[in-house]
Amino acid sequence: MVGAFLYLTVCAFKNRLRRRLQRLREPRYVIGLVIGLLYFYYFFFRRSARRSTSADVSAIAAIAGPLQFLGSLFLMAAAVIAWVWPAGRPPLPFTRPEVQFLFTAPVTRRQLVHYMLWRSQVAILIASAIATLFLRPGSLAGGWTLMVGLWVVLMTVRLHLMGVALRRLSLASHGASGFARQWLPLAVVLGAVGVLAGTVISARPALASLADGEAVFRELQRLAGQGAAAVVLWPFRALVRLPAAASAAAFWPALPSALGLLALNYLWVLRSDAAFEEASAEHAEQQAHTRAAPRAVVKGTAATPFTLAPDGPPETAILWKNLILIGRYLSLRTVLRLLPLVVVFGVLARNAAAGGAAAFIGAMSLPLAAMAVLVGPQMMRNDLRQDLARLPLLKTWPMRGSTLVRGEVLAPTVVVTGVAWLFLLVAAVVGAGLRPGALETIASGAPRASLFAAAFVLAPAVILSQVVAQNGLAVLFPAWVSVGTSRARGIDAMGQRLLMLAGMLLTLLVSLVPGAIAAAAFAFLAYQVTGMVLILLPAVVAALVVAGECWLAVECLGRVLDRTDPSAVEATE
Amino acid sequence: MIDVQHLTKTYGSFKAVDEFCFRVDPGEVVGLIGPNGAGKTSTLRCIVGIQSPSAGTISVGGHDIVNAPVEAKRLLAFMADEPQLFEYLTVMEHLRLTARLYRVRDAEARARDLLAELQLTGKEQALPAELSRGMKQKVAIACGLLHEPKALLFDEPLTGLDPLGIRHMKETIVARGRRGAAVIVSSHLLHLVEEICTRIVIIDHGRKVADATLAELKAHPELAAAGSSLEQIFLTATAGEP
Repeated sequence: MVGAFLYLTVCAFKNRLRRRLQRLREPRYVIGLVIGLLYFYYFFFRRSARRSTSADVSAIAAIAGPLQFLGSLFLMAAAVIAWVWPAGRPPLPFTRPEVQFLFTAPVTRRQLVHYMLWRSQVAILIASAIATLFLRPGSLAGGWTLMVGLWVVLMTVRLHLMGVALRRLSLASHGASGFARQWLPLAVVLGAVGVLAGTVISARPALASLADGEAVFRELQRLAGQGAAAVVLWPFRALVRLPAAASAAAFWPALPSALGLLALNYLWVLRSDAAFEEASAEHAEQQAHTRAAPRAVVKGTAATPFTLAPDGPPETAILWKNLILIGRYLSLRTVLRLLPLVVVFGVLARNAAAGGAAAFIGAMSLPLAAMAVLVGPQMMRNDLRQDLARLPLLKTWPMRGSTLVRGEVLAPTVVVTGVAWLFLLVAAVVGAGLRPGALETIASGAPRASLFAAAFVLAPAVILSQVVAQNGLAVLFPAWVSVGTSRARGIDAMGQRLLMLAGMLLTLLVSLVPGAIAAAAFAFLAYQVTGMVLILLPAVVAALVVAGECWLAVECLGRVLDRTDPSAVEATE
Repeated sequence: MIDVQHLTKTYGSFKAVDEFCFRVDPGEVVGLIGPNGAGKTSTLRCIVGIQSPSAGTISVGGHDIVNAPVEAKRLLAFMADEPQLFEYLTVMEHLRLTARLYRVRDAEARARDLLAELQLTGKEQALPAELSRGMKQKVAIACGLLHEPKALLFDEPLTGLDPLGIRHMKETIVARGRRGAAVIVSSHLLHLVEEICTRIVIIDHGRKVADATLAELKAHPELAAAGSSLEQIFLTATAGEP
């Protein structure tokens, strides 16, 4: 049976790789690959080649202690959360085809567990290799010990989480008696947390007397290495010691205990009697349904943004449709996701503000407006980045590709512009709170009203150019852009996104150059004629030039879209 | 109304459709049948402009689908086997969007009539997630019929429908044909094709192997021996049965 599982795992990996290689028949993807390889070469290999091995070893050795302390705390936190906070996923998240083929086959539960462990190897090995590249050890020896160490840690964590979920499932299946038996592991976990908390509380007076944060950290590290705290943290420290080993000499002594923990978790998982099939099958169905309609849970049928007249340009109909999309999906969770950003900006702005609520809001609004202009177009994806997943349907609509692209870019532009204008308006109205001289550094002596008016004019142009660039990348490289609502996973997908981001930024910069040149030329001429430094009119010129470029880009993209075969747009894995 | 001449569609080195020619006149309901992978869906997708033909020409109402796609698509409706709906639009909003895209006047009244015809009355404010597969199929069909298309293409139109829905769907297709629309029905359900189609085109390995009425097929010298049912004729024509 192991042979069959290995065959399935290898074939799945091989075919996925082959599918990606097949894309290279198209020259645009070859170019993308070359750029990606150059990026990886410069950021991973070239930079690591410059560093000396001895320097690396001593640097890692210097931070090995803090690294082990923090790493062990992190692993313990992960274990505590797994025990205390039940995960939504089943212990063994099989896919629908796996349920179809393996659950109906003469395969034991233990063999299914083994299959899942086989399958997870691809992801764990790739993650270990990429993390090793990121951390860039100075030598080959440092590289392999780090990679093996990371593999052991990731594998042990995977097994432990699987074991916890299986244990929970098993206890749940035993009804009330199972629930009653659940107190023991929970008590052990909470007891371990209590030991650490008790250690810190008892040392509180000593900690309070220390001079700075660094001294407190050193003291905590010392406390964690002695007494009951050391016992509680030992398994986690034993694991972290392996990847944190600065040399092979430090690696070998750490290996037996780490492998022992790995083996213990493996045996624990194998001994589980949990009947996971039903939960796994249910999960597989849900996943398949989510992929087919990734956002099946729409937040009610709220009112439409405006009434769609029966006649008029088709672009308005697409705008109407895509605005509905935002309204129907905006949930409390979406708003909460933005909260950390708002808090960070708020704290920064508060430090910069002179004081008072109005000053605070005024100072906070300007960076938020800048963030809306620069980050908003990437976050707001209610355009072709969503709709390309439905390209066969879009292609039946009686309109040219350029009309379709024009209609698609409108919604994110309108929404992000609205947000940016709102922040700009707040900043302009309560502008008194801005730190004196903050705006004057941008254009010395220019009236504040002119600067805000120029920002109002430029914001939609900059936003539009980014939205067009984003949609352009989706049309030109459909197989490399996350299309629809789901996201591709894996390191290669991350690399693709990095490449796309770099391409987008480059496109944005290039698109803004003609507008900037035209605005500068206009301002220079106006100064020569009138002797005045104009702000608003050059901004209007720049905005018009950028809008014109966007128009041309949309026309070109429309032609490409007309020729795009829907099979070129593949669903995200 | 639909004129396909020497249509060829290739995917890499694989030729899915090979020099395929046929035409559908107003009022005709043509059944397009063939084994799996014969090229039916590729042909339909080329006719409606989802895919570009590798060679050959396709015109709808005299408009070339490649050179004048907007004019051709305005006359067309394609009902795919898998209904494609926006999960964030209600049933009525789908119809309003379609009305605007196809510039349909008096869309509200027509939409209500269609919803009644397809037993969707009362589901106007429902989202696709709240509908069964069959109902989603009906919504897609309502959107397709809203602009009174002159050429209709159905790919497996009965998939997911209940017995009553199947009966209504057959009536809907036949009624459109009687009203003068050119209709193509692609299906593996040979009894459906036999029942509602006025002409049958059989495609195999991308090539046309038969194009005639059922009576003509039965009388064909090479197919007469197969028997009187379309199933026997189909199996003989596609060499599925010696």
